[in-house]
Amino acid sequence: MEILQYSIRKLFSGIPLILGVTLISFVLMVYFGPDKTYELLGKNPTPEEIAEVRSQLGYDQPFVVRYVDYLRELATLDFGNSDSTGERVDALLARTIPVSLALTAPGFVLGNALGILLALFAAYYRSTWVDKTIMASAVIGMSISFLIVIIAFQIIFASSYGLGWFPVRGWSIGSIGDYFSYVAVPTMATVFVALGYNTRFYRSVLVEEMTRDHVRTAKAFGVPPSKLFYKNILKNSLIPIITRIVFSIPLVIISGSLLIESYFGIPGVGKITYDAIISGDQPVLKAVVGLTAILFVLAQLLTDIMYRAVDPRITLK
Amino acid sequence: MAEDKKPPLLSVQNLIIEFATENGVVRATDNISFDIFANETVGIVGESGCGKTVTGLSILGLIPSPPGRIVGGSITFMGRELVGLPEEEMRKIRGCHISMIFQEPMTALNPVFSIGNQMTDVLIRHHGLTRRQARDSAIEMLAKVGIPAPAKRIDEYPHQLSGGMRQRVMIAMALSCDPKLLIADEPTTALDVTTQAQVLEQISKLQAEFHMAVVLITHDLGVVAETCRRAIVMYCGRIVENASIEHLFASPRHPYAKGLLDSIPQIRSQRLEELPIIPGRVPDLLQLPPGCRFADRCPRADGLCSEQIPKLAPSGTHADRVACHHPYPAVQAGSAS
Repeated sequence: MEILQYSIRKLFSGIPLILGVTLISFVLMVYFGPDKTYELLGKNPTPEEIAEVRSQLGYDQPFVVRYVDYLRELATLDFGNSDSTGERVDALLARTIPVSLALTAPGFVLGNALGILLALFAAYYRSTWVDKTIMASAVIGMSISFLIVIIAFQIIFASSYGLGWFPVRGWSIGSIGDYFSYVAVPTMATVFVALGYNTRFYRSVLVEEMTRDHVRTAKAFGVPPSKLFYKNILKNSLIPIITRIVFSIPLVIISGSLLIESYFGIPGVGKITYDAIISGDQPVLKAVVGLTAILFVLAQLLTDIMYRAVDPRITLK
Repeated sequence: MAEDKKPPLLSVQNLIIEFATENGVVRATDNISFDIFANETVGIVGESGCGKTVTGLSILGLIPSPPGRIVGGSITFMGRELVGLPEEEMRKIRGCHISMIFQEPMTALNPVFSIGNQMTDVLIRHHGLTRRQARDSAIEMLAKVGIPAPAKRIDEYPHQLSGGMRQRVMIAMALSCDPKLLIADEPTTALDVTTQAQVLEQISKLQAEFHMAVVLITHDLGVVAETCRRAIVMYCGRIVENASIEHLFASPRHPYAKGLLDSIPQIRSQRLEELPIIPGRVPDLLQLPPGCRFADRCPRADGLCSEQIPKLAPSGTHADRVACHHPYPAVQAGSAS
C-alpha cells in the first residue's frame, strides 16, 4: 500500500520531467525541425499547393496546438505513420524493440555480471597482481574504440580471414541456433567494451564497502568470507549497483545500439532512429524521444522502490 | 598479585608489527611484551599512533594485510600460539573466545541488517544454536547490557538506536558467546560523558559477571583510573611502563607517564599558571631516534638515552615494569588518588 501510494505520487512528479524533455525535443526536432513540404510537392508548386500540403502536415497550426498534439500522441501511444515508409509507428516500434532487446540483453547481462565478478576478484585481492592484471585489462578495454572492436571482432570471428565461426551481418531469431550465431559477435564486442567500465565502477564500490567499519566488526566476530561478502559487502553496495543497472535499462530497450545495429545490419530501434534522424522522419523521432523520457521516469521509480527493499534506512516519502 | 603465579590468559612476547607505507616501512609496534591474566582489566594507554589499536587488532589477527604484517614475536592465548594460526582456526576464536568492540558505534554495525539478525548470527555460528534459541539468548543479553524493552528493540536497525544504545548492542554481541577476553578499543570515545560513564560501568559489571579479562585501549587516563587494575603505557610503538594503577597514578616511574599524568586537568591545591604539557612532539615513525624514543622530550635524558634503547625491566619489588635508563624513584605509596 505504501509502495502503491508512493508510486502514484512519484509518477505524478515525473510529469514535469516528461514535459521538459518533450518540450525541448519538440522545439528542436519538430518545430524548427526538418520541413517536408517541398519533398512532397512537385516542381514549381503554386502557393495554394504549398499551403495545402502545409495544412495536411499540420505546419500551419500554432506552436501550442502542435505541442499538445504531440503530448496527446504520447499519451495514446498513437504516433501516426512514418513519413518515409508509411508504416504505422507503433507497429514499427513493436517490430524493432524486441529485436534490439534480443540483441542488447545478452551483452548487458553478461557485461554487468562479469563486471561484478571481476570487480569482486580485484577488490578481494586488491593491490596484488590479480587486481593489477584485471584493472590493466579494464583500461585496455576502455581505451579501444568501440568501432575498432566491432570491426576487429568481425574479422576475427566472422570473416574467412579469421575463424569464420559466425555470419558477418544479418539477423534471424527463427531458432535458438540462428539467434546465437547472429548475436554472438555483437555481444562479444559489447561485453569487451562495457566490461572495462563496469569492472572499474563495481570495484570502486566494493572496495569502499570492504573498508567500512562494519566489515571489520564482522571479521572480529568470526564471519567467514562468503558470508562477509553477501551480508556486509554486497548488500551494502547494492544501491550504486542498482542505480547503474536500472538506469541503463531505458537505453538498452529504446536506443539499442546504433553502431552495432548498423555494422551488423540488424533491423532494431537504433537503426530506425538513425534512419529517422537522417530522413527527418518526425513521427518516429517523436515516439523514440518521448518513450525514452517515460522509461527514465519509470526507471527512477523502480530504483527508489528497490532502494527501499535493500536499505532499511530509506523510507518512501 | 596472586595471578602472577598462574599462567597468563594472554601473553604477547616481542611482538613486531610493520606497515608498508609509500614513504617506507613503519614499525607500528616494536618488541612489545605483556601478559594479561584471567579476570583482570588492563588499560593500554597512549596517544594516537602509538600502536595501541594495532596491538588490539593483532591479537585477533585483524591487522589489515597488506600493508600490515606481523614480523616477529608471538601471541599466545590459553597456551595456544595465535601468530600464524590458519584463518579458519582464527575465525573460531574471534567473537567466541576473544571478542572485540570498537570505537565508532555509529558505523561498527551493519546498517542493512537488524541488530537481532547480527547478534543471532554470532550465536548460531559459534554455539550452534537454532535461530529461536539464539534469539532468546540475544534478547537476554540485550537486557543484561541495560537495553529497555529488548524483545522489541532486537528487531530494530542500527540507525534507529542512539550511540550509547549501539555501543551496548556491540557489548551484548561481544559477550554473547561468553568470551574469556574482551578487547575494547576506545569504546567510549565517541560517546558523551554521561553515556560514557554508564557504558564503562556496564563493562565493569559484566566483567565480574562473566569472569573475563578486559583489555581497554584508550587515550583517556581518567577512564583507566576508573576501570582498570593495571595499565600499559605505550609511546611510539614501545611499552614504556606497565604498572598497577595505584603505583602508576601515585608515582609514575617513566618520565612520559609522569608527563601524561601531570597534564590531566584537575583541581589542585595550588593554582597553576598554566597546565603542564610535554614539550616537543612525537617523532616521525619513519625517522626514529636510535636511543630512547622519548629522549628528545625528556627532562631526565642524557647521552645514554639517545644512544641505547632502554629495555622494559622490572622496576622494583612489584610486578611493575618500566623502560627507562633514569626512571623516577618508586614511592612506596599506600594511597592512590
